[in-house]
Amino acid sequence: MSQAELDKLIRSNYEAGFSTTVDTETLPPGLSEEVIRFLSAKKEEPEWMLEWRLDSYRKWQEMPSPGWAHLHHDPIDFNKVSYYSKPKSLDDAPKSLDEVDPELLATYEKLGIPLHEQEMLAGVAVDVVFDSSSVFTTFKEKLWEAGVIFCSISEAIQNHPELIKKYLGSVVPKGDNFYAALNSAVFSDGSFVYIPKGVRCPMELSTYFRINEANTGQFERTLIIADEGSHVSYLEGCTAPQRDENQLHAAVVELVALPGAEIKYSTVQNWYPGDENGKGGIYNFVTKRGVAHDNSKISWTQVETGSAITWKYPSVILRGDNSIGEFYSVALTRHMQQADTGTKMIHLGKNTKSTIISKGISAGRSSNSYRGLVRISPRAENARNFTQCDSLLLGDTCGAHTFPYIESKNPSATIEHEATTSKVSDDQMFLCRQRGIDPEKAVSMIVNGFCKEVFKELPMEFAVEAGKLLEVSLEGAVG
Amino acid sequence: MTLSASDLAIDLKTQALANARRHGSDGDALTDLEAASFPERKTERWKYTSLKALADGHLNAVANGEISQPLPALSEFVVTINNGQLQGSSLPAGVNLHHDAPVVNGLQTPFAAYNGAVCGQPVVLEVAANTRIEQPIHLQIQSASEAPAHCNPRVIVKLNAGAEATVIEHYHAEGQALTNAVTALITADNATLTHYRLQGEQANTLHIGTLIIDQQGVSKVDSYQLMTGNRLRRNDVRALVNKSGAELNMKGIFVVRDKSHVDNQLCVEHAVPNCQSDQNFRGLAGESGKAVFNGRIHIHPFASGTNAELSNKNLLLNPGAEINTKPELEIYNDDVKCAHGTTVGQLDAGQQFYLQSRGIPAAEAKRMLSLGFVNELLMALPDAAVTEWAQPWLEAELTHASPAGDAA
Repeated sequence: MSQAELDKLIRSNYEAGFSTTVDTETLPPGLSEEVIRFLSAKKEEPEWMLEWRLDSYRKWQEMPSPGWAHLHHDPIDFNKVSYYSKPKSLDDAPKSLDEVDPELLATYEKLGIPLHEQEMLAGVAVDVVFDSSSVFTTFKEKLWEAGVIFCSISEAIQNHPELIKKYLGSVVPKGDNFYAALNSAVFSDGSFVYIPKGVRCPMELSTYFRINEANTGQFERTLIIADEGSHVSYLEGCTAPQRDENQLHAAVVELVALPGAEIKYSTVQNWYPGDENGKGGIYNFVTKRGVAHDNSKISWTQVETGSAITWKYPSVILRGDNSIGEFYSVALTRHMQQADTGTKMIHLGKNTKSTIISKGISAGRSSNSYRGLVRISPRAENARNFTQCDSLLLGDTCGAHTFPYIESKNPSATIEHEATTSKVSDDQMFLCRQRGIDPEKAVSMIVNGFCKEVFKELPMEFAVEAGKLLEVSLEGAVG
Repeated sequence: MTLSASDLAIDLKTQALANARRHGSDGDALTDLEAASFPERKTERWKYTSLKALADGHLNAVANGEISQPLPALSEFVVTINNGQLQGSSLPAGVNLHHDAPVVNGLQTPFAAYNGAVCGQPVVLEVAANTRIEQPIHLQIQSASEAPAHCNPRVIVKLNAGAEATVIEHYHAEGQALTNAVTALITADNATLTHYRLQGEQANTLHIGTLIIDQQGVSKVDSYQLMTGNRLRRNDVRALVNKSGAELNMKGIFVVRDKSHVDNQLCVEHAVPNCQSDQNFRGLAGESGKAVFNGRIHIHPFASGTNAELSNKNLLLNPGAEINTKPELEIYNDDVKCAHGTTVGQLDAGQQFYLQSRGIPAAEAKRMLSLGFVNELLMALPDAAVTEWAQPWLEAELTHASPAGDAA
């Protein structure tokens, strides 16, 4: 494919680029103990929660911001970020969808998230985060019947303090890393899920995230607890309107899989990546981690196409014997996007297994890195890991990098790692075009094939969305 | 009192600078050393290797012990460097030994900078253009010191256009000597170099080495790097594949046992189009040995048509041993073929069963299989003299590394 055609394709606009004007109550930019107190008071949080936040803030203040990732950006001024924003009309919470701000609903409509339809047809409960607080939680009652708790984390702090006290910060401690500490101090809202013993969650749980207010950082906190022998599949999807200023996002996701439980966590991330000159776009610094107890399983699947900067390493601590960790990832970067993403599999228990499949696609002048760690501790007898990371480069101005750390301290463990780098070959293109497939479709097809292994891990509805997303991104990104 | 890693780093630098000034070094060499920073606990490239052994004061003294078990000559052409000083040489026609060292590109580590500031007389072996040296040149680099002390050998092998040679870079150290070596291999157009790096120093010695392979011309370099662990072994190998059409092959074996340590940091830089590189390393760790392997392939933006591969397979022989490996790719061009593969595992239980079912004791079976694991590379060595020397050496190491007992 010629450079000219490539260039033409790379210049397409962000489809989800629009913004909604909703009356919001936004805190002026800046971070201090007062801001945290205000935030906590606004949410009517108990004293222990405020202490927890303040402790995190003090830890954060002493930490240097990490510089080890293969990312280049100007230092972030955390005092230019606003730490609280909430749609005003939410103060008198809606009892049904009819009461929801119509403009909000219209936003979701534009994004193709038909809330009504989903409620009735798809059977998916949606906990929608619009900026910092939950708008509405559907199907709550149906889930309640099964004993499943699915609510915003603010509600959980009010209604289930015993679970929050026990598990919040148990997987990602307050001072785990710079961005996790920041999140612990100022987290705005997020989802909370508890699946009781032996329950198979009757539906796939899903949250759509949306960044709306300019200059507003979003700090979601998600906590999922799957009690013994339970099963849950959780879907997280994101898309943000076009903005010129860089927006900061530092989320924390904690998963706890108790003995015999299974958690499947899928993400499609399509935040505004910035324009072709690297102007604007979301800075995405995420800490995602799960602890797998005996005989449990945690599976991460992610499709990352958005954000100017992605710094994200969904990890699994395989603490229990016979536990399983999985990581399937597709990361697509174009224009000036930078992604440094991968996973950590920490094998502590006996007979633990982990699988890592990572597909990186880079185009434009972007940079796409896989960074991973597989650690086998001395007592992880018969641990097993398989890692495959493949990179696809589209054009000769992008970069694809691999930094896999492998550490083994147990002689009965088996670890395999392989990585390849390739491009869309002329042969493949020739074959497609010879059969009358136009170049753009052909590339899309080839890339889709390249990602197949990951897409098949996604829940059906998500797989369709991911495929579509990739196609849309490729329209503007590929040759 | 034990020093913290950052205090040690400052100490080492202070000592290194003092030594360099006393040595009368100046100019670029001193500037480089002044700019260098010694690794601290959080220095990424030194993540798995601690320099705390150097707190014994190796930099405070210069090694000058007698070599009690000198290396046997593996060829009729020998160059001997003892405690960093040239002792003697017998060289064929066409090879010129002098001390007028060319600038060595690509040096990065603080220890290489230190070597540059204090090495004194570098040994330069220059092979005349269009000359083929049939016999290998055996470079014996030896050091000895009962107390902690160091030496700084610096060797530059330069092959002019059309030259062909084999160089065996062979290290030996006794007592508590630290060998802080820098070796550079420079090849011009149409040169063919076969290089061996044999490192089997005694258990209490230390080795910090930098190897630069600078392919300035369309040349072929085959490098074979065989090593066992000692108290501290750190190899920084950097290959600059700098002329279109150049070819580089690196193969290596490392065996650690007892409490020994090996840290290999390899980096192959492809800066121009249409070059080829292949790296194949195998590691074994037994007893409480610790092995580190970091293999990096860096493809620069204009290096289209590059074909680069890396393979690193490792065996962990028993609990207590440790292997840390990281194959890295850094790629800025789409028209390349790049792949790496790494494994860490154990001896195949089926193969062990097969041997034991035929009456071979468990320990012997384990040893045989370990040897088989490295034999593929060992048998591919083109010079019989090296194979003959290396095989019993590695075999002895493997016998210790795979102790009798459990055959799991």
